[in-house]
Amino acid sequence: MASLTNKRTDGGTLTVGTQTSQLLEMLAPWAFRAPLIFMVLFFAIPMAMTVVFSVFERTMFWMEPGFTLFAYENFFFSARLVNFLNSMKYSLISVAICFVFGFPIAVFVRKSIPQVAQHRVVLLFILPFMVSEIIRVFALRPVLQRNGLVNTTLMDLGLIDEPITALIYSHTGVVIGEVLSFLPFIVFSGFLAMEAVPKFIFEVCDDLGVGPWRRFLDVILPLAAPGIFAGSVFIFVNGLGVALLPNILGGAGAVNAGLIATQAITALDFPLAMAVSAIMMTTLMALLWIGHRLFDLTKILTPLS
Amino acid sequence: MTDPTPPAVEVRNLSKHYGDFVALRDVNVTIAAGEYFVLLGPSGGGKTTLLRTIGGFHKPTKGEILLNGKSVGHLPPDKRPTTMVFQAYALFPHMTVTQNVGYGLKVAGLPKAKIAEKVDYALEQVGLSQFTHRKPHELSGGQQQRVQLARAIVLDRDILLLDEPLAALDAQLRKDMCLELKHLQEKVGITFIHVTHNQEEAMTVADRIALIASGDLVECGNARDIYRAPQKAFTASFVGENNLLRGKVTEANGSSVIVDVAGSKLTVDKRGLAVTDGQEVKLSIRSECVTLDRLNGSDAAADGMSIMGAFDESVYLGLTTSHLVHLPDGTEMVSRVIADSDDSLPDAGASVRLSWKPSDIRLHVN
Repeated sequence: MASLTNKRTDGGTLTVGTQTSQLLEMLAPWAFRAPLIFMVLFFAIPMAMTVVFSVFERTMFWMEPGFTLFAYENFFFSARLVNFLNSMKYSLISVAICFVFGFPIAVFVRKSIPQVAQHRVVLLFILPFMVSEIIRVFALRPVLQRNGLVNTTLMDLGLIDEPITALIYSHTGVVIGEVLSFLPFIVFSGFLAMEAVPKFIFEVCDDLGVGPWRRFLDVILPLAAPGIFAGSVFIFVNGLGVALLPNILGGAGAVNAGLIATQAITALDFPLAMAVSAIMMTTLMALLWIGHRLFDLTKILTPLS
Repeated sequence: MTDPTPPAVEVRNLSKHYGDFVALRDVNVTIAAGEYFVLLGPSGGGKTTLLRTIGGFHKPTKGEILLNGKSVGHLPPDKRPTTMVFQAYALFPHMTVTQNVGYGLKVAGLPKAKIAEKVDYALEQVGLSQFTHRKPHELSGGQQQRVQLARAIVLDRDILLLDEPLAALDAQLRKDMCLELKHLQEKVGITFIHVTHNQEEAMTVADRIALIASGDLVECGNARDIYRAPQKAFTASFVGENNLLRGKVTEANGSSVIVDVAGSKLTVDKRGLAVTDGQEVKLSIRSECVTLDRLNGSDAAADGMSIMGAFDESVYLGLTTSHLVHLPDGTEMVSRVIADSDDSLPDAGASVRLSWKPSDIRLHVN
């Protein structure tokens, strides 16, 4: 970089050029340090603070330093624990549905779409993200509600007599919203994961007479496992944490950890909100650790060596 | 046919179209059992399509394929007596060498002890016995291809299809692997059909070679005949280093014809081809059969076995030296000699005479 600048600035402007390049050389390391500092300041420290704040004493409008496990007691010995565990269950269901819908799409794109067109097809799945999530999720209401599109269509067809009310303001509604919002992630991660499957492997399977089920279990699944796990964790985390979905589509009992924390903040119970966040964080860290031990998540970034 | 064993492969009037694109056009070829057969040709010529159609990976548009005398048009790859070795990227990355080789047998439901025994034997055949517990990424390119070979021969199918098996290897390794392939084929005694665009590779391994270009089977014959006595002008241009001359027939009586090339009358054996006076024909002579002589002022006699040209330059290639000459009509000719003499070269543009033995020049008609 320095030599380039020097070459350009011959004659009288030489000193200016040298100064510029020295300045650039001094600044260069900060290109890497700045994001690190940002992450420490706005990610690592607040995360640690979350844990600290969760044991503080609650005051009328904020909290004061102290040590009490009241917030945790409040969480573990109330309906909140049940709701939290339920939201884990329904997040898992969302992950499963996303996998069943999304992974075959990823395999299909890799296997059957010409290489030049593959990335364009995957790009199609990014398009929904061009619409704000609130609008996307809110648009589900007129579709799923009591006199919504689904119910009126089914009733007009004579398939049901009464509208199905469980479609929205319930766990079902939340799961539908989660699948809608997070399906692309399993398509992306599945698509990347399929990169670990060598080019001619399907033809080898044809040659060896490996049936479709066996091919999936013995070949595709082990090779794509790290990518599938990464995509699944992403969906699970969001299913647990994004308050927006149960807020718009959920109802009594159909909440997730994110919404429990949000509700605690609304009630000005900050230590409880912090405790919920800390519990969620711990759960997810444990999950990632287990996943890493099982699948070696670094493999996602090294498809073929 | 007196031979009681049917040919390993018999391809009859095979055509393969992809939309408007014709990948193969009316191909007929017969490959005997136990033969090492090479499909040679330029990239995109249809040789891989032919191999894959034999293997059952593509369905033919027209025509049929008989393997060991039985039509196999309807059979999937695993139900055919064939098995395929791919260019590269065809091993299961998460399985060890042993698991890779044994997987086909496991799928076929063989008992474990039997699988272990067969896998050991196959790995011994390809010289990989010490590497049984390695994963593919811990092996070199050549070793990976040997694992593929072992995985194929362990299945006991009697036709092995090799699709550019050495293309991903470097030049020296490719040479070594060529010989190993040849020896392996002699050892296991099954039919090998090998696709390549590399003529040296083809010459090293082949009993017989078929040239395939633009979807046509151009010529088929023994490796030696293809090199020394190509029937078609395309073969001459693709195999070896041939001089191709265009000319007009001036006299087509008797067993030889006289062809006018750039003003010189050349005599060439007719080889039973139907030619008439005035017809445009091609002649080929391998560059190593052409002798270059300096003209010392005297015009050489026009004997029908030589042609005049102007010297351009010499290219030193180590083992051989190529002398480049151009004829009066602009055609390039090459004389290649195994000589490392320090004799001074003719000046650029000097008149030289190129001559050859009567048996070295060949006539081709389209």
